[in-house]
Amino acid sequence: MSHHLFLLSPSDTPLYSLTHYSTKPVANVSSPLASNLPNWSTSAFAGTLTALSGASSSAQQTAGGAVRVGGGQDRHVIQMIANASLDVIEDLMKTQSTMFLKSVDKFNEWTVSAFITPGNMKFVLLHEGKNDDGIKSFFIDVWELYVKTMLNPFHTAHTPIRSTVFDTRVRASAKKHL
Amino acid sequence: MDTHAFASLAQVRVLLVPVGTVPQSSFDKYAAELRTFDAIRLGDIPADNKDEKARFMPNPLSTGYLHLSFPTHPPPFSHLPLSLLRPSNFPLAVIGLAACSKTDSLPSILDEFNASLLDIFPAGGMYPLAKNCFVFEEGEGNTNVNLGDSLPSLVVIPSMMGNKKLYIGTLLADLCSHVLGEFGTLVQGLESPAGNEHLNSALMPMLPPSDLPQPLDNGRKRDSLPPLPTHSSQPEMKAFNLASAASLKRNSSGSVFRQSTLNVPPPPKKRLSSIGVASSHGRLFKVLGDFYLLAGRTEDAAVWYNEALLLFKSSSDTVWQAATLEGMATVSIIDAWSAGQGLNTSTSALREPWSDVFDKLSQAITLYHRSPAVDGEHNYSLLSYLYSCAVLRQASLLFSVWSAKGWGPLAFSTMLQPGPTPYLPPTLSHQGLTSWATLERLSALSGISRSSISAVLAQVHGPWLLHLGARERISILENTASLYACLGYRRKEAYILREVLGCILDLIVCGREEDGFSRLSSVPLPPGLGIQGLNSSSSSQRGNVGVRFSENMDGNESVLKLLKYVCKVLGINLDAVRLLDNSGEGPPDEQSVAASIEDDIGTEFIEPYGWPELQVGVVREAVAVAEALPDFLAVAQFALSSLKTLQAVLAPGDQYHLYTTSNRALMTAHRRGDSKSVEYWSGKPLVSISLSSFPLVRLPIEKPLSALQSRPSDITPILTGGTDPFLYNPRRALGQGKSLVVQNELLEFVLVLRNPYVFDLEIQSLSLSTSGVTFDSKPVRVVLPSTSFHVVKLSGKATETGPLIVRGCFVQAPGGIKREFTLPLSTEEEEERVSRKRAALECEVGRSKYSGLDCFPWEKASKRTSTQLAVSTTKAPLRLLEYTVVPEQPLLRIRRTSVTHGAVMMYDGEMSTIRITLENVSPLPIDFLHLVFDDSTIAPAQQALANGDLSVFDTYETEYDLLHRPVFSWNKEDTKDIPPGHKLTININCYGKVGCTNGTIHMSYSYVHRPVASHDPAPQVFHTRQLSYPVMVTVYHMLECHGMDILPFPSYPLELDQEQIGTDDQCLGNETGWCLFSVEVRNTYGLPFEISFERIQQGKPRGLTSTIVSPGSTSRVVFPIKKFILSEAHVSQPIPTLSDRQFIVTKSKLSKAQERAQRELFWYREELFKNLRGHWREAGGTRSGDLSLRQQRMTLPMLETLRTETASIHMSLDRHEGSDENPVALHDGKYYPPSSEFVYLRTKVTNLSLTSLVFTLGFDFQSSPHIIFEGLLRDVPVGRLESGESRVVDTGLCFLAYGRYEISAEAKVVGSTESKGAGRLVATVRAEG
Repeated sequence: MSHHLFLLSPSDTPLYSLTHYSTKPVANVSSPLASNLPNWSTSAFAGTLTALSGASSSAQQTAGGAVRVGGGQDRHVIQMIANASLDVIEDLMKTQSTMFLKSVDKFNEWTVSAFITPGNMKFVLLHEGKNDDGIKSFFIDVWELYVKTMLNPFHTAHTPIRSTVFDTRVRASAKKHL
Repeated sequence: MDTHAFASLAQVRVLLVPVGTVPQSSFDKYAAELRTFDAIRLGDIPADNKDEKARFMPNPLSTGYLHLSFPTHPPPFSHLPLSLLRPSNFPLAVIGLAACSKTDSLPSILDEFNASLLDIFPAGGMYPLAKNCFVFEEGEGNTNVNLGDSLPSLVVIPSMMGNKKLYIGTLLADLCSHVLGEFGTLVQGLESPAGNEHLNSALMPMLPPSDLPQPLDNGRKRDSLPPLPTHSSQPEMKAFNLASAASLKRNSSGSVFRQSTLNVPPPPKKRLSSIGVASSHGRLFKVLGDFYLLAGRTEDAAVWYNEALLLFKSSSDTVWQAATLEGMATVSIIDAWSAGQGLNTSTSALREPWSDVFDKLSQAITLYHRSPAVDGEHNYSLLSYLYSCAVLRQASLLFSVWSAKGWGPLAFSTMLQPGPTPYLPPTLSHQGLTSWATLERLSALSGISRSSISAVLAQVHGPWLLHLGARERISILENTASLYACLGYRRKEAYILREVLGCILDLIVCGREEDGFSRLSSVPLPPGLGIQGLNSSSSSQRGNVGVRFSENMDGNESVLKLLKYVCKVLGINLDAVRLLDNSGEGPPDEQSVAASIEDDIGTEFIEPYGWPELQVGVVREAVAVAEALPDFLAVAQFALSSLKTLQAVLAPGDQYHLYTTSNRALMTAHRRGDSKSVEYWSGKPLVSISLSSFPLVRLPIEKPLSALQSRPSDITPILTGGTDPFLYNPRRALGQGKSLVVQNELLEFVLVLRNPYVFDLEIQSLSLSTSGVTFDSKPVRVVLPSTSFHVVKLSGKATETGPLIVRGCFVQAPGGIKREFTLPLSTEEEEERVSRKRAALECEVGRSKYSGLDCFPWEKASKRTSTQLAVSTTKAPLRLLEYTVVPEQPLLRIRRTSVTHGAVMMYDGEMSTIRITLENVSPLPIDFLHLVFDDSTIAPAQQALANGDLSVFDTYETEYDLLHRPVFSWNKEDTKDIPPGHKLTININCYGKVGCTNGTIHMSYSYVHRPVASHDPAPQVFHTRQLSYPVMVTVYHMLECHGMDILPFPSYPLELDQEQIGTDDQCLGNETGWCLFSVEVRNTYGLPFEISFERIQQGKPRGLTSTIVSPGSTSRVVFPIKKFILSEAHVSQPIPTLSDRQFIVTKSKLSKAQERAQRELFWYREELFKNLRGHWREAGGTRSGDLSLRQQRMTLPMLETLRTETASIHMSLDRHEGSDENPVALHDGKYYPPSSEFVYLRTKVTNLSLTSLVFTLGFDFQSSPHIIFEGLLRDVPVGRLESGESRVVDTGLCFLAYGRYEISAEAKVVGSTESKGAGRLVATVRAEG
């Protein structure tokens, strides 16, 4: 089961992203409709379509049990989904005051949870299973780490986070909670 | 386009087909006319109560409606298996729309209609159940109207008909009645046990036409469908089918209980038992329900659906069960619509009124989703289709309620009749879609949050989309995208739109490939090329030649529009580089200039927006899409826009790829003769422009014409020099504002260009943009190396005189359009404005007030409220680089000089000559030549003068030095006109001056007296050019004068004089009035020099003395000079300044007397130097020069010596007054008077001064007691003496003893005690003999 975390600046630019593979198994509830997909075209555009519809990822999961590290799912599609889910997140953050928006959106097989900091930063997590408590504590950890990064006076809301300390700590927290 | 209206299950589809040559516009017009009939009252439908047909006929008094929809596209063939499961998916009736004029014959129209039906509907389908052809009459009268009546299934609608609408309504009702009748027939067939078995045989059963019970009377309608070209032959053909089918069916459907349930909903239980056969009747009941729903009888439909559901609960027929649930949901909405047309009040507070429908649909969706894929083949695509439709149905339920501000009539009618713009609900407008408040208001009113709609809608998306056929997929994705768009979820919309684009492009590409392939292999060449193909038997040789077929450009525009939209949502502005007409090279306007400056500042502080990886991906895709279309201009536009806007995030490889792609595309577009092209894109490449400076020789200098006239009061500029009392003089700077350039001479401009990209940027043409006088220059082609600044030199000539303004440069990328970039000079206010703006932006950067889609970079400026950043409209006009082009100028050069190695060696005070030969190398004559000199002594002297610390005396010395002893000088008379190609030699005098190390000869020349056209005003200025010739000067300081002194020259005995001076004695004598001038001259050089001093005193003989000074030795030169006196007026003049300097404040606080003394010293010294001239000559050589005494100072004793006394006193001794017989003996200037004898002392006082004075005389006898005298000794009055007058005073004396007596006399002016002249007399009295 994989998780994809993105820290997005107010202008939708990712400042940090993380892909985390947890050892927990995926509860596979795929529809019969999603199987036996045809290869109906070979053009490049069909490839785009296949990827965007989520077909490649599910096909890939059924084919090989172990998820390949780094490029199992189409990274571009994951990012597209994360970006698209911002619509809902922005919508909800205007009406709700909570920072943690759990399972705010679902797309293809992905569930999107989000966390909004008071500085309008959005943490977006794409996950497959249901793990609300873990995700919430993970988000709070990340937030704390982010706030510590922001203490740096040279760090603006648009500076990408390249600190290795931040990275290791987020990874550790992901391991712990996800 | 397939719409997914919520109530599509209840809508009878009537397919509209164009027949014959009806033009698109009129087809659309007629279709719109028909579409106004979206519902027909059941009461209006003529009932056909014949046997089984009457079953679905409406009750005569029923109040329901039959809902119609009018698609123009038939469903794809692949949907055929759905024909029983989802009858509403198919056109139940067909209407052909034809337009006829006089020439058309109706039978032929009918034939065409039938033929097109054969194309549209496959032979095996059950539908359509009814058909008709509407022929709209066009033009005036039509003779064929009568003929129309004779033809079945063809109605002519005359153009003259008054109430056309009513008529069409009636026709439609007829058609519907047919359809309802056919329902009855169909159901009759299905109700038979065999039919029921067939119904249950497969997941999606399809009745072959042969299985259907076909009443004979129906055959008339169906018989047009079989694929036979002629009308006449159809019946026979049909006969085969019908013969077998009809007989079979009629027997099997023997149970005729239909008649009893004609008008009343049949009690289901009864029928259940009566058809007791093997298979469950669930599906049959569901079909019945569907048909009742279509027929507008919702009560019946609900009853049958409930029955079906009961049966399905036990079995696991998920798909049919789900379809039943969908039907039931539709029933509720139709009921609500018909009940609540007017009011809607009874909403329970507990549950939302639509939750029941919603639940049913959710159930259906789950069922579809779980439906097992049983019997293989193409079920997946249909199941996915049903699933997606169900999801869309549910989403559109919520969406309709949401957009209609709640559960109410508006929501129902939205669901039933989406209207002409199904994707934009009436409560929203395009503007409203972007406003969050509008959307949120709808949510608040309806109680449905947008996220919940989105959550429902998201279910539609999944891998199963791949199962769908292209057409369904596009339709479903489009629908999804439009729903997202209406919800304001633009990113999701963009996501879906990318898929839509993928679908469309895939179809385009695949279609083209097939096409191309077929052309290559078998299809004959297009007619235009036919001859070639026929002539060459070996046509395979042509395989290599690419033949371009005219491409269909339709729709490209829309695809590109979609692309741009998607990119825009992701924060890329694909229109950043505009497409412009090739011809359009608009006049440069000031606005653009200002804008370009604004841009510059703006780009410095651009914030990153969006998701770089996504942006890069989507841009690549956009370029690929545009290439695939192909639309080459769009390719270039997209590629260049992304290069422009995404330069920061694009990887080098991408940048390079995009650049080459755009170049290629532009070349192709150009080759194909596109009239448009892209504007220049790569930001502002121009960094600076400057004129490479002229060599000094060519630089023209502007002079006022008045400078040529000699001014009477000539203040020598050399004294004032370049002195300016102010260290910073703003006026001086202003005067040099305009640079001068010369007409018809090559100007070279240096441009600095910038390339921020990783690839080498090619600029096809780079040229200067100038205004003012015409400027000839050729554009150049430049390649800017990657990520660097590049210097380009552009040269050209100004062909006229006048102002030349360099605005900037024109830049044109390959295949692009020329664009001007201006470069204004930075004026002060401009600088301030820019820095202000920069500061404001700096303050703003990094802060985010808006987030997400609200903060697109291109919207930022409009949302900014700070007025500081607003572009100020009232701006000072921009200043640009300006040059003044002056008329052609002659050119002079130095041909040769007499100076070797550019160096001159001189002794101090030596005078030598330099010869310089000038040549005029231009075609213009030179009629003005002026020389100005500079040397290294001038500047320090001028500096010293400017400082003003010098005393008056020193000032005079310095000025004298500058003015009268310049290092270089020339004779103005040497100049004359130099015609083209001629030479002129001029002599320049050099004077050796110690301390001079180098000097420069500046020659200004011009062509002043040009022929001027008579009507031109005489020019006020002329221009000169300057030649400079530097000279190294070495001056040896060899002779030093010092120790000047002036000594009195007493009246020595004459013989002494004779011994000393020799021949010159006659000028000496015993007279007073001479003094001795002496000076020491030291030779510090290695050669002996002969020095001589000359006396040139007026009225006196010239005198000369000379001596040789050997190296290292010092000689003293002594030389007598005549004393002189200067008049009081002369002496009392202040010390003059040679320059005309004013405001000289005497700093020295000298007393009157001191001042007077100083002036006397000054003037006497001047007079002395006038009268003396020193020379030197190289011993044994030819070189000679002046020896200057100006270093020498004069002291007061020297002055006293030099000045003639006021009075001269001559004393003599006479023996007796008036008698000269026995004079007193005089020997060697001494008198030998007798002792004890009276003699007279005769004292002659002469007034030597220039005024008349009153003198007194005083005698001094050394207090000798041995002299007795007569009269007074002190203050003997002499009286007034005029100038030059003398008077004698006699005094009687008697020497009483032998001895030597010395008598002196002193003249005094009355009133003063100082002596003005003295005389002395020595007398020796001795014994006689």
